[in-house]
Amino acid sequence: MTALRTGLQFQARMLRRSFGDLIALVTAPLMTLVFLAIIRHGGREDLAPYAVLAPALIVLWGVALMVSGEIVARDRENESLEAIVASPTSFTGVLTGRIAAVTFVSLVGFAESWLAAFLVFRVAVPVFHPTAFILIVGVTAFAMAATACVMSAIFVLARSARAFQNSLTYPFYVLGGVMVPIALLPDWLEPISRLVFLSWSSDLLRDALSPAPIADLAPRLLAILILGTAAYLLGVALVRRTVNRLRHTGSLSYA
Amino acid sequence: MRELLAPLRVLRYSAGNAWADMWVIFSPLTWSLGWVSRVLVQVVFFALIGLLVDSDDAVRYLFIGNAVMITAMEATMSVTTTTWERRQGTMPLLVAAPTRLWPVFVGRGVQWLPTGVITASVALFGLGPAFGVEWTLARALTVFGCLVAVAVATYCFALLLSAIVLTVMDLHNIVSNLAQAITMLIAGVMVPVTFWPGWVQGAAQALPLTHGLAAIRTAVDASTVASVAGDVTAGLVFTIGVGACWLLSAALLLEYLAAAGRRSGSIEFAE
Repeated sequence: MTALRTGLQFQARMLRRSFGDLIALVTAPLMTLVFLAIIRHGGREDLAPYAVLAPALIVLWGVALMVSGEIVARDRENESLEAIVASPTSFTGVLTGRIAAVTFVSLVGFAESWLAAFLVFRVAVPVFHPTAFILIVGVTAFAMAATACVMSAIFVLARSARAFQNSLTYPFYVLGGVMVPIALLPDWLEPISRLVFLSWSSDLLRDALSPAPIADLAPRLLAILILGTAAYLLGVALVRRTVNRLRHTGSLSYA
Repeated sequence: MRELLAPLRVLRYSAGNAWADMWVIFSPLTWSLGWVSRVLVQVVFFALIGLLVDSDDAVRYLFIGNAVMITAMEATMSVTTTTWERRQGTMPLLVAAPTRLWPVFVGRGVQWLPTGVITASVALFGLGPAFGVEWTLARALTVFGCLVAVAVATYCFALLLSAIVLTVMDLHNIVSNLAQAITMLIAGVMVPVTFWPGWVQGAAQALPLTHGLAAIRTAVDASTVASVAGDVTAGLVFTIGVGACWLLSAALLLEYLAAAGRRSGSIEFAE
């Protein structure tokens, strides 16, 4: 627990000093305007909930990929990984705390989207099911942090994977249905997209913004939780394996 | 004569550096499989919003806009790579060298020009028919020419941004991403420029993409390219003209920064 808290506090301090890492939060309001402009020009103002949710989910994924996914690789580059691994605290605990801090900060994207929509287009998107909405955001943040844990390990374990890091954005925005629901895409994509937790989250979040009752809330939340837990277990196992391999090969730092 | 040609020689060496940078960032495999496929999915992602809006016209409009946007996006990415020159600590040597500073920076990010044009071409010509865009040889050649103009002119715009961020290095990522997002928003990529209030439309005229993309849409929507040759040429002239203005501003600012750096002793353009 101490490792988790320490990781959280450390990463919060790091983020204050490296604002450039949170570029997705700077562009989120503009992306909201992009999506709102398209739907307003198309005469479909009823799709405003889609337009404000999409940038928030893009921020969540983008920050996890570009900041959380880089944590271990950066520690290795600046040669702090040796000291962290040598200390008697849990490495995965510190890492989990750090990823939690990044994920928590990225949730600001939700507030930014809503605010940009209101300030520029005077579009107010009501949350018809606030309790469910908060619950879905919480579960989504957990699944995102868990997925970031996997990314963090993979980018160190297979250095070539880092070359494809930037490629893991838009394909997942499509598969995750962040703007266009999976139901509108070809049928063969659905089984693949259901393995991406974002597809469950985006559908559920849109439902929480609709006045109609949310169908099957519990099983759909469970699906996100299962995907998140599986990702976390895989992530922790991969991080342990990665660190052990680096210890074994004596390549904890690049020096 | 030799003095007149000196900037060209510097430009050539700097472009050589840029090209070497390109193959440090990417291998042919990661560029084609990783980068190009990512960018193509980006185009598809935005085009699919047309499906959500339930309009075939919107799908086509968004597809063309976002495919061409890739050229501008990659040209704007030079803001980040150009500033590497300062990070690598070569600024004092460059300023001490008996040549102008601006040709170095003009050449420093040129790797993004061919990649932007090629990626957008793959999107437009490869995916186009699936999104309702049909090609004839004349139309394809015209659009390719427009893409080259958009790439070069947007690169000139990005050069001014590069010069600005040389003084505030921490902002290079933010400036590059903001420029891309604003361009995407107001230059006719997602919605017609006329959708926005007058002052935004005015600002959009300063972006080379606005004119280049309008020329491309004109060529793509006409029954024959010959029937709109005048409009397309006018769009190209505006694109290149706006780009030339940005290039001149960037060169002047770079020379001013070098002179000011020499005077104040902060030759690395330190804040």
